[in-house]
Amino acid sequence: MSVGNSLYLVAPEIILSASGLLLLLIGAWGGFKSARLVSILAVTALFASSAVALEFLLNPAFAEGGDAFFGQYRLDKFGSLTKLLIYISAIVSIIIAPRFFDNVAGGRSAVMRPEYPVLIVFAAIGMGMMVSAVDLMTLYIGLELNSLAAYVLASFLRNDERSAEAGLKYFVLGGLASGILLFGMSLLYGFTGTTNFNAINQAFESGLSTGALFGLIFVLAGMAFKISAVPFHMWTPDVYEGAPTPVTTFFATAPKVAALALTMRLAIEAFGSQIAAWQQIIIFIALASIVVGAAGAIGQTNIKRLLAYSSINNVGFILIGLAAANQAGASAMLVYLMIYVAMTLGSFVAVLDLRDADGNQVEEISSLAGLSKSRPGLAAAIAIFMFSLAGIPPLFGFWGKFLVFEAAVQADLILLAALGIAASVIGAFYYLKVIKVMYFDESADVVVKSDSKSHAVIIALCALFVSPLGYLLIPVLGNIADQAAAALFWAL
Amino acid sequence: MIQVFTFYLFAVLLIASGAFTIFSRNPVHSVLWLILAFFNAAGLMVLVGAEFIAMLLVIVYVGAVAVLFLFVVMMLDIDFAELRAGFMKNVPLGILLAIVFVMELIFGIGAYQAGKIELADTPVNPAREGATNIEAVGELLYTKYIFLFETAGIILLVAMVGAIVLTNRKRAGVRPQNVSEQVARRPEDATRNMQPEVGKGVEL
Amino acid sequence: MIGIEHYIVVSSILFVMGVLGIFLNRKNVIIILMAIELILLAVNINLVAFSAFLGDMVGQVFAMFVLTVAAGEAAIGLAILVIYFRGRGTIAVDDINRMKG
Repeated sequence: MSVGNSLYLVAPEIILSASGLLLLLIGAWGGFKSARLVSILAVTALFASSAVALEFLLNPAFAEGGDAFFGQYRLDKFGSLTKLLIYISAIVSIIIAPRFFDNVAGGRSAVMRPEYPVLIVFAAIGMGMMVSAVDLMTLYIGLELNSLAAYVLASFLRNDERSAEAGLKYFVLGGLASGILLFGMSLLYGFTGTTNFNAINQAFESGLSTGALFGLIFVLAGMAFKISAVPFHMWTPDVYEGAPTPVTTFFATAPKVAALALTMRLAIEAFGSQIAAWQQIIIFIALASIVVGAAGAIGQTNIKRLLAYSSINNVGFILIGLAAANQAGASAMLVYLMIYVAMTLGSFVAVLDLRDADGNQVEEISSLAGLSKSRPGLAAAIAIFMFSLAGIPPLFGFWGKFLVFEAAVQADLILLAALGIAASVIGAFYYLKVIKVMYFDESADVVVKSDSKSHAVIIALCALFVSPLGYLLIPVLGNIADQAAAALFWAL
Repeated sequence: MIQVFTFYLFAVLLIASGAFTIFSRNPVHSVLWLILAFFNAAGLMVLVGAEFIAMLLVIVYVGAVAVLFLFVVMMLDIDFAELRAGFMKNVPLGILLAIVFVMELIFGIGAYQAGKIELADTPVNPAREGATNIEAVGELLYTKYIFLFETAGIILLVAMVGAIVLTNRKRAGVRPQNVSEQVARRPEDATRNMQPEVGKGVEL
Repeated sequence: MIGIEHYIVVSSILFVMGVLGIFLNRKNVIIILMAIELILLAVNINLVAFSAFLGDMVGQVFAMFVLTVAAGEAAIGLAILVIYFRGRGTIAVDDINRMKG
């Protein structure tokens, strides 16, 4: 394997790195004025990387994939598919940002800054490495590149106390999680003598030493933090509420996809020969996330906090697919992830569109009262996303839940599936509360019309995807997800 | 034998200074204990023959990170009167620490001269025969791990950009020096020749 | 004779102390950041010791990457702390409570 070939396989990362450096220069020379140009170029670069990822995903010439850089990085369909989701989320997070930052009331730094798209691009490089990592070191470097950019993004509105506090909380708990993850990785390295996923898997085949078991648990705990699964979810509502809304949109989608994909790859490629060691942990985390996500959401009055709990809840459902530990489960997780990204992007962009007459963001759920009369289109879109997040049948969100439950039943985890279905019924309550406020409460007349075409287009596209029309895509999505899941299981 | 003794010296001091870092009431003291912890960890690494990482730990941490911490601690609200008042009181402790430090250096060098701790009989992935530690690390870092090495560079860039984005601000009421403007200034702009009549004075 | 177990014990104690430092500290955020540095130091000791006792240089390369990232993390953490202090005028842990729930 030549270096040239390796460079070819990491083409999405190279495109993003080169354009990130270039954009940084443009931003440095042009100052705040260049923010628009930098954003457009960043979106272009992300589109180019998406095109490359799509080519890797669909072109039969790359069906086999390949290892780059001495087995530290693997190009396969699994990586390409998740990368595509990550890049799309990043693109949306950049497109929706200028309107938000330009309208923040008060504060001198309340303008769109060119560093925002640059940091998103760098975070996207890190996430691309995460989903393609087949070595603990690549995993760590990618994860930290993403995390460091994310810490800065969370506190990006530096004059806003809530944003600074969100950044601080995210940083402290993220640093702790990285430390735990890293300690686990050092134990895995010490007790298996290697950092490569396949080699770890082979070492595990002959049994699991106590040290390696500790390493495995520490690594899973660190990953549970990054995907904000219970019991490591405490930071999520605060960070989602405090961070600027475009950044929250980003946090709820791209890093979550990357961390979930990484968890899948770790669990299956590195720990696949010791499924019994982690299956119970994943089952517990999945159930706890579903329950806590549903219960925690009930008393919330802030819509961003509500969506944070909803994302905890949804991560729990996605993890059911991992608990099944079979190819159907992995495929179901990928389909669920695609639907989840569409639902989440749509609902956060819809939240971003809620502004009062002074241009301030409206985040209180009670202010949404009577939205169905003042903004019927937006209210309908939010209703669709809420129903879909709850997994109510005619909408596409139901399909993801159905697939993971089916996989769980296939893997003889019938009790888990039953508990999950029961919890999802309870969970539907708080989504319905939002819809009730919008459609049946006395109008509060807080939210005014928005003139943003880009928001409207994104919301419409996402709503269309999660509407019953999405079922038309099932053959395509199912096929791609199956192929990607198969790429994960090649070693077993 | 000297290695065993040195290991325990470093290990005990490392753990003690780690504990003091956390439980110390004064953040300045915490930073100083943290520095001591890093020195002792570096000593532990020298004992197993990883000189390069050990030196890097001292240079990067004591030289950069700990100083950064000190800067920030100083920027925040610390009662400096209390700090100064404690100075004379702490002199004996300081001298004791200095003696411990010298002892550590002597033992560390002694243990290093006496050879590394005995290591694996069958190395998994040994360094090239005859390569020093720094050569062995470099040979891996710049060949096999070049991709990660470059990405680590991007991480540092992100850290730099992030720290500047967050903390850099334009202060009102500050008049910074503009060198290019000063250099570009010509005598004609700044002075004028006049021939005032006697007793009239000059209008400025 | 000193073996790998000795090193693991030392690094584990240091790791636990770092984690405890994060949870027990109620006074000052900057000490929490130092506790994170202690955790990373424990990891580095582990990696270097394993690397030496396995006879595998990869651990030391890993330790170098951890060192690099830790430096960047410290810089960003302190920057966030500085802007937080500018806004609130305090870094006491108990005051970080703008958002609850």
